[in-house]
Amino acid sequence: MLPGVEALERAMGYLPGTAPEPVTELIQEVSEELVILDGVKAEYRIFSNIRLWPEDKTVEIEGVIFHVKPIIYSQITDTEEVALFICTAGPLVGEMSRRSMKEGDLLRGYVYDVIGSEVVECAADNMQDELKRAAGTRGMHITNRFSPGYCGWDVAEQHKLFSFFKDNFCDITLTPSALMNPVKSVSGLTGIGRNVRYTSYQCHKCDDNNCIYRNRKTKA
Amino acid sequence: MTELLERISICVEFGKVDLKSPYPPALKDQQGAFELTRIALDSGVSPGVILEEALIPAMSRVGEKFSRNEIFVPQMLMAAKAMNSSMIHLRPFYLSGETRRKGTFIVGTVTGDLHDIGKNLVAMMIEGAGWEVIDLGVDVSTEKFIETADKYPGAVIGLSALLTTTMENMRKTVASLREIRHSMKILVGGAPVTPEFCVKIGADHYSPDPQGAVEFLKSIAQ
Repeated sequence: MLPGVEALERAMGYLPGTAPEPVTELIQEVSEELVILDGVKAEYRIFSNIRLWPEDKTVEIEGVIFHVKPIIYSQITDTEEVALFICTAGPLVGEMSRRSMKEGDLLRGYVYDVIGSEVVECAADNMQDELKRAAGTRGMHITNRFSPGYCGWDVAEQHKLFSFFKDNFCDITLTPSALMNPVKSVSGLTGIGRNVRYTSYQCHKCDDNNCIYRNRKTKA
Repeated sequence: MTELLERISICVEFGKVDLKSPYPPALKDQQGAFELTRIALDSGVSPGVILEEALIPAMSRVGEKFSRNEIFVPQMLMAAKAMNSSMIHLRPFYLSGETRRKGTFIVGTVTGDLHDIGKNLVAMMIEGAGWEVIDLGVDVSTEKFIETADKYPGAVIGLSALLTTTMENMRKTVASLREIRHSMKILVGGAPVTPEFCVKIGADHYSPDPQGAVEFLKSIAQ
């Protein structure tokens, strides 16, 4: 589950093989420390009782309305089912990051932080692969995954999303400001249907220039 | 003396903390920012000169390279660590009042938000630009900002938010600070924050990167 040095270099902004030596050394050191990273989990639930409301660009799942906004709505218009998901890298990596920062070792804290982000994305990719395989057995396809807080979808709607995981085994909790704990966690939805497709992210339609997913390569 | 200051500056820019630091390879087994700053002080160079002619130019170059995507967060953190090793020797002069800072900068991530990497980078760059930094940490209440602003009259406030939900708390904090001190300078930043949002909530400046924050402070300190 742990990403390689090159993937981490890329996540930090470097071209592979160009990060300075102390950074690559630290990546290796921290990766060895985290080799047994407990607590990486992912969970999804598929809902077929859904309705799409084109006028409002909303999706209704079992009576709960999600205001996903135009960019996401345009990607799920042909969806027949919706999978809601939550994933986490577990508490350890976030705690290690915080502790290192508090002790003044900001670079180490940053490396933990980047590893945590990559691990949770990797967990979400694996969950997406599993979802794709399961949908394929029924002659269906999947869309990209979309998360509250991105592509115009208000992060506060994460509270609604979590209401579908009352007994979540991922042990993720939400603060009133919709911050997930453990911090290295993601949640969201994926569309499923016979006529949906996986596309590159529609970053050109979005005005959030600082988005961490901006122009990120998609994994089909 | 100029040569010594240049060496300190290079050590800070490239993250050479001390003699033991193996990086950058060209400076291996040479003294770093920590030792050279001590030598400079012992040779009679004033702390103000070390700050103005070695640390500030070094951190300024780091900030500019970061803005141009020539270096990334890790190198910025390495430079900040080297700067900090130099500051270990300089801090006592500031604490005693023998040397003056350019001003005070109070920074924190707004209530409900626990993200701190961006805020820490800004804090380090601003300290490197010669300001006293009061870092209130994360999840900072409006009351805490007000209480600290009362303690440091004339301080500039920096607010950070990484979530769209906590941007609303940023708006409330700015409004409350404006109520008690209308002329107070407030700087905002964070991934979801935009120049438009900055204007809308009545903050004075938005910067997408640490160097922009430093430039703003420089402009108001003149």
